[in-house]
Amino acid sequence: MHPAARIYGRRDTIFLIACIVLSLVALGLPDRMRDPLAASLRRSVLAPLVSLQRNAELSRRAWVTREARAAARDSVALRSMALNAVDAENRRLRLLLGLGARLKWGFIPAEVLQGRGVGEEYSVTLSAGARAGVQPFSPVVAPEGLVGMVKTVDPTMSIAIVWAHPDFRVSAMAADGSAFGIVAAHLGSEPERYLLEMRGVPVRSTLKPGTLIVSSGLGSTFPRGIPVGTVLGEIKTSELWARTYLLRPAVMPAEMNSVMVLTPRRSTSGVEGVWQTGRGLDSAARAVVAAGDSLQRADAERRAAAADSVRRDGARRDSVRAAAARPQGAPPATPDTSAPVRP
Amino acid sequence: MRPTDLVRTLVAFVVLVLLHYTLRPLLGWRASPDFLIIALLLIAIRVRPGTAALVGLVMGVVADSLQPHAFGAGALGMTLVGFGASWLKAVFFADDVFLNAFFFFLGKWAFDLVFLLAEHRLGGGELLVEILVWSPLKGIVTAVFGLVTLLILRPILRSSPT
Repeated sequence: MHPAARIYGRRDTIFLIACIVLSLVALGLPDRMRDPLAASLRRSVLAPLVSLQRNAELSRRAWVTREARAAARDSVALRSMALNAVDAENRRLRLLLGLGARLKWGFIPAEVLQGRGVGEEYSVTLSAGARAGVQPFSPVVAPEGLVGMVKTVDPTMSIAIVWAHPDFRVSAMAADGSAFGIVAAHLGSEPERYLLEMRGVPVRSTLKPGTLIVSSGLGSTFPRGIPVGTVLGEIKTSELWARTYLLRPAVMPAEMNSVMVLTPRRSTSGVEGVWQTGRGLDSAARAVVAAGDSLQRADAERRAAAADSVRRDGARRDSVRAAAARPQGAPPATPDTSAPVRP
Repeated sequence: MRPTDLVRTLVAFVVLVLLHYTLRPLLGWRASPDFLIIALLLIAIRVRPGTAALVGLVMGVVADSLQPHAFGAGALGMTLVGFGASWLKAVFFADDVFLNAFFFFLGKWAFDLVFLLAEHRLGGGELLVEILVWSPLKGIVTAVFGLVTLLILRPILRSSPT
């Protein structure tokens, strides 16, 4: 420290006493005088220092809460990612509920258990088994269309092959019924492996890309009208007497989460109108037209009936008027049949 | 005091005041260093006791404006500490690290003692804990920071040759 020597004198004592008195006066100041004084000091001399202090405290708070903020940000990001998945699952479950409402009866809801191993890409494990009513060879469907067929049934679970399985076959047709064939997995290289092909289509039947293919109901496994896929194009094969078409499956592997297994009774009674296929739309349009016609017919009949009643009412009023005008004892008026009738 | 020394001391004083309003809130410790006391002691050992008391009064009043409930308590504490430091500087004349540290510790503790007694906010055990536990802790922290500050500001505070 600075070693300079100082002399202590009377002036210092006076200064000290004055300062102490001033301090005590400040201590004893009433609020109405103290507050304006303190406020004026804060707004003038201390203003820049207070600003510095505020910034420092904000910096410290930002530093202290950085981990909490990072954790909160991560949680929000994680929650938003989960929300997307929940949203997708919700949408899918709504579709499944819609399918259940249209099917009304004869179906068993099941979850597709994930974690398929190598070599098991073409079969899925379902969470419903024999206890729930699942039987072998039952069709497995999703809101979009056909998923596959139950192969093995255990009490609490079952194993189904999906359309990509090499053994999978379904008799199919164009939605308008113009062409029939057998749909099986397209055994091509990897990108095309998850496509279907429709074989044995007669040469005279040409299918345009985008045509919807549904199950034909031939055979005893799959009922008629389940969407199988849409036509992508024709494949050139060595078969000259039949055409083969490449199909895009109605149900993609990623959509195989929640499915429904149709019971044999439901398969037998059919699922017409459950999926909005072309045939279903046509029949719906026809039904709407028919309903319109019947309404028109009913309206015309109602008008005709009203006109008849008015006519009958008029005739009754004429006969009453004629009876009133007739003299006592005169015979009742009868229509003059002898009068010439104008053609 | 020569004008050069006065300027140097003022620079060190401003630096310490800035540290009080930036580093102290940044640290946010319960027992935080009091750079205003360090600045007051730095001035006090270079001026007459009366002037040191006046500087203490001004610093105290300005600092008290941030805590109106104790307006005047800080001024009284700084007045007494400033005067006492200037008066006792002959005792702590030697440029010894530990003596300087003790000087800062004593200054801070004395200030807290006067402040706490004058503001009449705390009482009983709470006041005792504050005086016997927290104030000494603050004094120790202030002493450490005072020594570090002195080491850093040594080039500025060194007296110019006569």
